[in-house]
Amino acid sequence: MVMTADKKIETPSSLKKKKKVKPMKINFENIWQHRAQYFMLLPCIIFFIIFSYLPMAGMVLAFKEFRFDTGIFGGAWVGLQYFERFFQDPQSWTFVKNTLIISSMKLILALPFPIILALMFNEIKNNKIRSFFQSITYLPHFLSWVVVVGILQSILAPNTGLLNQMISFLGGDGSRFFLMEEASFHSVMFWSYVWKDIGWSSIIYFAAIMGINPSLYEAAAIDGANRWRQIWHITLTGIRPTILILFILSLGNILSAGFDQIYLLKTPGNMEVSEIIDTYVIRTGLQSGQFGYATAVGMMQGIVGLIVVLAVNRFASKKFNTSLW
Amino acid sequence: MFDEHDKTWRFFKIFNLIIVALLCLSIILPFLNILALSLNEGTDAQRGGISFFPREFSFENYIEVFKQSTILNAFGISLFRTVVGTIISVFLTAMAAYALKTKTLPGRKFITFFIFFTMLFSGGIVPYYLVLTELHLTNTIWVYIIPSLYSVWNILIMRTFFLQIPDSIEEAARIDGCSEFQIFLKIILPMSKPVIATIGLFNAVAHWNDWFSGSFYVRNPELKPLATILQEMLTRQQALADALMKNSGAYELIEKITVTGDSLKMATIILVVAPIIMIYPFIQKYFVKGVNIGSVKE
Repeated sequence: MVMTADKKIETPSSLKKKKKVKPMKINFENIWQHRAQYFMLLPCIIFFIIFSYLPMAGMVLAFKEFRFDTGIFGGAWVGLQYFERFFQDPQSWTFVKNTLIISSMKLILALPFPIILALMFNEIKNNKIRSFFQSITYLPHFLSWVVVVGILQSILAPNTGLLNQMISFLGGDGSRFFLMEEASFHSVMFWSYVWKDIGWSSIIYFAAIMGINPSLYEAAAIDGANRWRQIWHITLTGIRPTILILFILSLGNILSAGFDQIYLLKTPGNMEVSEIIDTYVIRTGLQSGQFGYATAVGMMQGIVGLIVVLAVNRFASKKFNTSLW
Repeated sequence: MFDEHDKTWRFFKIFNLIIVALLCLSIILPFLNILALSLNEGTDAQRGGISFFPREFSFENYIEVFKQSTILNAFGISLFRTVVGTIISVFLTAMAAYALKTKTLPGRKFITFFIFFTMLFSGGIVPYYLVLTELHLTNTIWVYIIPSLYSVWNILIMRTFFLQIPDSIEEAARIDGCSEFQIFLKIILPMSKPVIATIGLFNAVAHWNDWFSGSFYVRNPELKPLATILQEMLTRQQALADALMKNSGAYELIEKITVTGDSLKMATIILVVAPIIMIYPFIQKYFVKGVNIGSVKE
């Protein structure tokens, strides 16, 4: 009886809370009433117009000849010349291929690692030990790629580097110059990427695991599910929406394979596999001043990324009821 | 639970702990290696064989780093952009987030989308660079601060946090005659210390670590931040470090040269990493909070 009475009291107030307050109609009176808020938003809106929307408008450069004296919008129209050039250049396909290989390694091959780490953290029941380990694994996320590549250069150095010393200690050839080799580029790139972000990416999965209702595990145990089955059926099923959302978010990056890392790992020795669209745009655009051409390449990259995000999000909201917005 | 005494499970638990511990070792050991190399005589380090302890202990590399006017100056630039950039950015972000939190704001949905869309699509680096040039931001110290004042992600995290503050508090203040700015400054900000710390730290780390703008938007060597100096060292390897040393007159002053380009690089890496590692134990809990706030959808 008492419980039902409680519930009866609770219902109206919780209903009140859930009542959605909608934005007011756009008219002078309402706008004037919120003038303080608009004033607070003003710098923000100006910022995004200048640093995001103006460059979007600047994409007209992809169809124009850039001249310093007339600025972004001044040059003569050149039609689709830059696009033709990109599609006719056989080298372009190497960059696209390299980008796709690197980004799919990062998006798909690297995906299970932080999930597994989160599951592993979840099995360490001593809170102190666990949070100690967790804070160590987050650390590399806060270091610049410059630092990580600096460390790699030292550890992977021929002869004197730690790895080569270990190899020669075990009787192998200790003079390999890993960072100059085409063959080791992908593994260096992949494992340094996993190493840097495994802990940080595990946070969100770990939080999702913590949010799973503990009574589900008890019920499963009563039904006779052992630990492994509990992990499979309850933990992994419970964090599936999180995995999906993060995966969708990351798919927008399918054509940008992570500029910082790749640019810094790129050496004359591994150029064939390490030149990606991002580094190519920087090289042709910022470094050799072919602004129009580089804009065109960057624009295709951006549009494909946008289409992929929209498509995947649509698919996910239909199929799994999970959406970004 | 019933299988608590299951042998395979107990074996797995130990195995699990070992794997996690190994992962942590793989993170700590490289730093110990760099630290050992930076505290070792440069010429001696070239022989190889240094793992986690210096062999010929010496502070020479650090003394040399602090003699370099370029590196000291870069340290100052990094410090300036980190402190000034973070303070301005956090304040402006909080203001925007507070305005976007107001549920009755006419056009709120449109403005939110207007900001959110920039996360999905951008005009690309070249038009962005040209905009910076036309604004005469390139080659000034402001190119570090102004273009990174706002980030969509940070605005969304702050707004989500503000939304958790009950409206009744603001309404009470409004009835008492507080203006919106007073509510923001005297009520919302003091209540939001955790999220301000989080966003501030995200910002500060991003500023400290950014080498890109220093490399591509700035030509004047006196305006380059520390991360860019390190990047130039990595890219140009020996050449730059050696040139730095010749400029400083190290070759004339020290009879026996023990500092090499590589050992100077190691000391610089430690210099870039040290501030982050030193404050890391105190701040990491805020970071984790920030990620978790950000993952909550409206």
